Amino acid sequence: MSGKRFEPSIVAFTCNWCSYGGADLAGISRIQYPPNSKVIRLMCSGRVDPLMTLEAFKNGADGVIISGCHIGDCHYSTGNYRTEVRFMALRSAMDVIGLNPERLRLLWASASEGQQWADTMREMAEQVRELGPSPLKGGSKK
Amino acid sequence: MTVAGEKIVVEDRKSTDTALVIGGGVSGMQAALDIADQGYSVVLVERTPSIGGVMAMLDKTFPTLDCSACILTPKLSEVARHPNIELMTYSEVKSITGTAGNFRVSVLRKARKVLEDKCSGCGDCVPHCPIEVRNEFDQGLGYRKAVYIGFPQNTPLVYTIDSENCIKCGMCVKSCEREAIDLDLEDEEIEISVGAIVVATGYELYNVANYRRFGYGRFKNVINALEFERLINAAGPTAGNLMRLSDGKIPKSIGFIQCVGARDATKDVPYCSRVCCMYGIKNAVMAKELQHENVKKVTIYSIDIRAFGKGFEEFYNMAKDRFGIKFIRGRVGEVSENSRNKNIIVRAEDTTTGKFLEQEHELVVLCPGILPPKGLRDTANQLGLQLDSDGFIHVEQPASNPVDTAVSGVYICGCVEGPKDIPDSVAAGSAAAMRASITLWREGEH
Amino acid sequence: MATEEVPRIGVFVCHCGHNIAGTVDVERVAEIAAHYPNVEFATHFMFMCSDSGQQLIRDKIEEFSLNRVVVASCSPRMHEPTFRRVVEEADVNRYCFEQVNLREHVSWCHMREPEAATEKAIDLIRMSVARAALLVPLEVKTVSVEPHTLVVGGGVAGLRAAIDIDSRGFKVTLVEREPELGGNLAKLSTLYQGNEKASDVIERMVLAARISENLTIMTDSEVVDVEGYIGNFDVTVKNNATDKTEKLRVGAIIVATGFQSWVPEGIPPYGMSLDVITLAQLEEMKRDDKLLCPSTGKPPKKVMFIGCVGSRQPGVQGHEHCSRYCCTAMVKAAADITEITDEVLILYDDIRTFGKGHEEVHRSAHEKFVMFSKFDRTKPAKTTVADGALSVKWRDILAGDNLEFHPDLLVLVTAMIPPEGVEKVSQLFSLTRSADGFFNEEHIKLAPLTTHTAGVMIAGAAQSAKDSTDSTTQASGAAAKAASLMARGEVEIESTVAHVLEELCSSCHTCATACPYGAISFDTSKKPEIAVVTEAECHGCGTCAAGCPSSAIIMRHSTDEQITAMVEAFLMPPPVMGGGDS
Ligand SMILES: Cc1cc2nc3c(=O)[nH]c(=O)nc-3n(C[C@H](O)[C@H](O)[C@H](O)COP(=O)(O)OP(=O)(O)OC[C@H]3O[C@@H](n4cnc5c(N)ncnc54)[C@H](O)[C@@H]3O)c2cc1C
Ligand SMILES: Cc1cc2nc3c(=O)[nH]c(=O)nc-3n(C[C@H](O)[C@H](O)[C@H](O)COP(=O)(O)OP(=O)(O)OC[C@H]3O[C@@H](n4cnc5c(N)ncnc54)[C@H](O)[C@@H]3O)c2cc1C
Ligand code: SF4
Ligand code: SF4
Ligand code: SF4
Ligand code: FES
Repeated sequence: MSGKRFEPSIVAFTCNWCSYGGADLAGISRIQYPPNSKVIRLMCSGRVDPLMTLEAFKNGADGVIISGCHIGDCHYSTGNYRTEVRFMALRSAMDVIGLNPERLRLLWASASEGQQWADTMREMAEQVRELGPSPLKGGSKK
Repeated sequence: MTVAGEKIVVEDRKSTDTALVIGGGVSGMQAALDIADQGYSVVLVERTPSIGGVMAMLDKTFPTLDCSACILTPKLSEVARHPNIELMTYSEVKSITGTAGNFRVSVLRKARKVLEDKCSGCGDCVPHCPIEVRNEFDQGLGYRKAVYIGFPQNTPLVYTIDSENCIKCGMCVKSCEREAIDLDLEDEEIEISVGAIVVATGYELYNVANYRRFGYGRFKNVINALEFERLINAAGPTAGNLMRLSDGKIPKSIGFIQCVGARDATKDVPYCSRVCCMYGIKNAVMAKELQHENVKKVTIYSIDIRAFGKGFEEFYNMAKDRFGIKFIRGRVGEVSENSRNKNIIVRAEDTTTGKFLEQEHELVVLCPGILPPKGLRDTANQLGLQLDSDGFIHVEQPASNPVDTAVSGVYICGCVEGPKDIPDSVAAGSAAAMRASITLWREGEH
Repeated sequence: MATEEVPRIGVFVCHCGHNIAGTVDVERVAEIAAHYPNVEFATHFMFMCSDSGQQLIRDKIEEFSLNRVVVASCSPRMHEPTFRRVVEEADVNRYCFEQVNLREHVSWCHMREPEAATEKAIDLIRMSVARAALLVPLEVKTVSVEPHTLVVGGGVAGLRAAIDIDSRGFKVTLVEREPELGGNLAKLSTLYQGNEKASDVIERMVLAARISENLTIMTDSEVVDVEGYIGNFDVTVKNNATDKTEKLRVGAIIVATGFQSWVPEGIPPYGMSLDVITLAQLEEMKRDDKLLCPSTGKPPKKVMFIGCVGSRQPGVQGHEHCSRYCCTAMVKAAADITEITDEVLILYDDIRTFGKGHEEVHRSAHEKFVMFSKFDRTKPAKTTVADGALSVKWRDILAGDNLEFHPDLLVLVTAMIPPEGVEKVSQLFSLTRSADGFFNEEHIKLAPLTTHTAGVMIAGAAQSAKDSTDSTTQASGAAAKAASLMARGEVEIESTVAHVLEELCSSCHTCATACPYGAISFDTSKKPEIAVVTEAECHGCGTCAAGCPSSAIIMRHSTDEQITAMVEAFLMPPPVMGGGDS
């Protein structure tokens, strides 16, 4: 076991329109990236409840990505303005409870940005691997 | 107009409520759907046992590499299930008379010898048939029985017995639990009247054997692009394993030769086939992608690279930058065979450097141009349509009325008007549907 | 949910030929899925979306009395509608279907690591099974379609679409922001299609539009607001000349706002001399029979064209895309002016005369002694001006020579780019744009005319650079989509809307401020007042639910429980799972 590299678990909340399209495009273009993140498809990034995100960390996520359309491109015109505000609030909350805010990322990706999608998935996996397992994991100390 | 959910009975229709679509490729299918969605009835006549056309034979599609079957299949079932569409596959139009609003059409329904309403597509008959012939759907690379479907998504999912090869042994009849096979069935001709007609009979590939110097037919490891598509297709003859059919070897180096039977006035094909550059690039990328460990070198020999459509230039750049496909500008002089290993030696002039090159490839793929479909002259004569100098159907005012023919009530779409890729064929299918529905609306009493 | 039925889930894992099965061990995945809670049946199959795959789903629904179906295959953006229909045919509500994306999100992007890909597939299916257990049937709603279509943009594409809809007997309104109809085509001289005069084409179409019965033309006008949804859009049009606004109710919308021809302001050689112009400017001169050098007012003797300026130049000075019209338009213009000039020269990279009749135009340019020289665009031609005279130097890569030419008119054949105001149009109609800046279609191959906004179609150069033939083809096609909607008279809409639980609402108004559509109002007859969602106005984004501090908002088909179930299934897989790593 000990020889095995730590593989972080990352939840990727993804809006159905631009971002999910970008993720699809990465696949369609056969751009390879690490399989650590699992997409949860929501209609809009605005659907991401900050509590849900914290819940994910409590359940053992090592990282969370929230992905939506670029500002101005939201399928629901302004849903992602909220996302941005909530994201900021979340990061401060994480700081307070002793979670490194770097474990949370906001990704604006359009349906034509398969490369950006793949890059972010890779970077995030690497970064969180560096940070190590989430301190909240399994209710453990650290 | 018909009630949703019930299949229409041909004889009950008013001609001005019905359109005829000839050809069930992707453009004809789209035309049929967009007419039927407006509440009109459609009779879709397809010559082969299944709708789908060439797209059904393709593996992936440019410029985004979706698999062709994956995106086409839902369309196939949508057409098959549409309550307003009557499919007549394995059928041909024999004659057409009349004018817009009231064309009389006689359709030859070739005997399938399998009853469409009884066959469940289970294929239980197949192992019992003793006759094996080359499968035309696989470009003759694979085999099928005399009772067959061309490909797994054959629509309608009904087997067909090819009378030319069947020896009437009756083995299949016995094996079929549903008693769907009747070897005594005969061709029948039926008459229908329709208000408008869409011609969507697609295209034919240029026969690359006409270029003797490229060795097709003489050297085993020279194949054409459609054969390549079948070779890398999971449902194709090698179950998707890219290999040389001559010896089963995975080719490490592949050359694609573009514009074979296109942009060549000496072969009477002066026009550009519009899709070959892109499908050449696509197949080059697929070779690398499928066998990234084995396929080391992929070269495309071309004149210009015409990556003109939405996302095409981007795709071309990706092929160069990410997949490392090598592009050589210049016409290939000739190819020869290395008698020892059966590799193919390509001699070409790189016109950008003026140098003559000689490169050995383990497989060479010729990318043929697009010709008008067989029998187009007959169809045109039946309908009184003009052909243009390239042999495709002539359009009077292409800038403003791109799918209208010189005959009122007759519209065209897809490659029968000239070479086109899938998105343009689909858009043209919808356009022809619009124009045909206008004819139906005007001619009908509304 | 009053009638809690026990979930009976079926899992169908698709090979997609080699596409999935080539990387993911589908057999193992299906075997493991069979042991998940509530799963009554799990299998794998070659092509789930084929007729036989669909039949398999229906058969198994019946055989095992399944009431939830999970298909693990490709992107739901393609096949969710297909499979929803399939389960519905077997009497399972469409909202009890859940799709897992094993292709775009697994096999295609983790091709080099089949084991890890298989593990990811297992995780994803476990997550979706957990969600499926919590799905509830929703009522399928239909709304009526207003038999009236709005066409935005009065170029050839908009005109074609509007005329077709009118001829098909439906009401249509055409909104054009300029005072005249015709768009960019009206600025051209003769077209490469049969040398037809562009003005003849436009006149013919404008005449047809003017005499039509059901077509209203609004020039000088722009759409300023759009509300509503497919079948029932409320559109506000403002007349820029009079400042008056008008409200229309339409069932379908066709966006045909075209392109603008790129002017390389500030990028040399443009601006170095008055005699450096764009092809679009040359066309206007030709149209008006005033082909003169701007600096001298004299007819040019030596003309030079440079192709692909701003096209196919990612990052450099423009745009990665090919503009599709320009090669043919360039060789046509060059061939035309040989009659009134001494020398015409074309600098090109590739000549993309791909369309019907285009090679003929290309050949005729050669026959008329237009000179062609291929240059390397990474080493662009050098232009200098001395005493008002232009000099261009470049390397011809076919001959390998360094060449020089002294044109009195230098024509830059520039890219088609999205027109001014495209951002606003994209926001009004919720359209996304591709990397080239033009509007995205629903599917690049099989649905090039519809968009992700139900009821909104695109056509012509608005979708991507193209010529008039391809634009009018798309326009008639888009008209067919609108006509189908109007002919059917009604259309199904999504039931995935927000719902406020009265008991829990604390009347904080958070949701109402969050909603992008103003779909939440307050029932003041209750004390304290409570939030109410107007379902017809809710687009289902869920922004309100995510903000509600009292968890009083249920997002249908995307409830808190359904989402959390996925998170938990991913991170905390139940210990007894069977199958396992054996
Ligand atoms: C090797 C190759 C690869 C390609 N790859 C791509 C790609 O990746 N992406 C892309 O966009 N395009 C691609 N294309 C182009 C694509 O095949 C065409 O755009 C598309 O098939 C055109 O559809 P169609 O309906 O016009 O014609 P077809 O597909 O030819 O369909 C015509 C149908 O009409 C039937 N028919 C013919 N005559 C009659 C008659 N007299 N009576 C009744 N029925 C008749 C035929 O049997 C056929 O089913 C490729 C082409 C080739 C050759
Ligand atoms: C130099 C040149 C030469 C060409 N030569 C040829 C040729 O020979 N043959 C050929 O087929 N094609 C040619 N083309 C291409 C041809 O011009 C286009 O294909 C055609 O104009 C596209 O038509 P469209 O209706 O899609 O767009 P457009 O012509 O751009 O029309 C769009 C219309 O929408 C209006 N609009 C834009 N935004 C709004 C808004 N927000 N609200 C309301 N209205 C709006 C615009 O004012 C315009 O009237 C050429 C193009 C150029 C630049
Ligand atoms: S369901 Fe999707 S993954 Fe399966 S065969 Fe069809 S397209 Fe491919
Ligand atoms: S009757 Fe014909 S089709 Fe049937 S088994 Fe014999 S040869 Fe095959
Ligand atoms: S789901 Fe979105 S559109 Fe619907 S009420 Fe909530 S915020 Fe408004
Ligand atoms: S829909 Fe993508 S962020 Fe709102």
